[in-house]
Amino acid sequence: MATISLPRGSRCSRVETHEQGSTLFAAILVLIATLVVIQLWLVAAALDALLANQIAVLMPTALSSIVLFVLSAGLLWYVTSFDDRLRQWGRHD
Amino acid sequence: MRDEANRPRWREDFPVRWDEDQYMTRRELAKFLTLGSGLLVAINALIAIVGLTRTSPRLPERRVAGIDELPPGGSLLFRYPTADDPCILVRNADGRVDAFSQVCTHLSCAVVHRPSQGTLDCPCHKGSFSCLDGRPLAGPPTRRLPRIAIERHGDDLVATGIEV
Repeated sequence: MATISLPRGSRCSRVETHEQGSTLFAAILVLIATLVVIQLWLVAAALDALLANQIAVLMPTALSSIVLFVLSAGLLWYVTSFDDRLRQWGRHD
Repeated sequence: MRDEANRPRWREDFPVRWDEDQYMTRRELAKFLTLGSGLLVAINALIAIVGLTRTSPRLPERRVAGIDELPPGGSLLFRYPTADDPCILVRNADGRVDAFSQVCTHLSCAVVHRPSQGTLDCPCHKGSFSCLDGRPLAGPPTRRLPRIAIERHGDDLVATGIEV
């Protein structure tokens, strides 16, 4: 298990490794996929409500979908920035 | 060394291996999923906009039956608003008159009146709805039967709209 040498003053500890980064990336990928599946379910529920003329359901499903999208985008941003940081440190090493 | 010599010239121009041609990195997959998430937001917003801006057309008033044609505990079939929409008019033992769509909300079989139970039953999958408000009581249906608004004009029962 290769430990990455971190720049001086970094907030991250020495336990961060390529393997941990890889595991984190995979975990976040699974999380994003799960959020997308929940969004698919929300779309199905909204369509069902529209066909049943249950208008009250439509706004909450749309808002929930937006929240899930923001979460997905946040996770993507976090994981890509984390990945970039790891690669940068790898090069420094 | 021998492999180098035998390598075809096109390999130098196209160094990507066939199996790597469709290769997708985890980063690309994460971006793809997030884009998909954005697309689903757009679809959900579109559904909400359609639902909130849709106005239901005003349905015609139509005489269904005379009050004398329907004894207490009896039922009568009619079609409203079009000839393709079967409905059922129910008169309970206490004289109250209600009308519902006859199409089961599970898989669209026709419901039948069971006065002894006070229910509208679907024979296909043993679904059961209340005669009073059309809510599902048993079986696979989860949504209530659409109610047909009935007004009494003298001795006539007149359908005036649908309450989903």
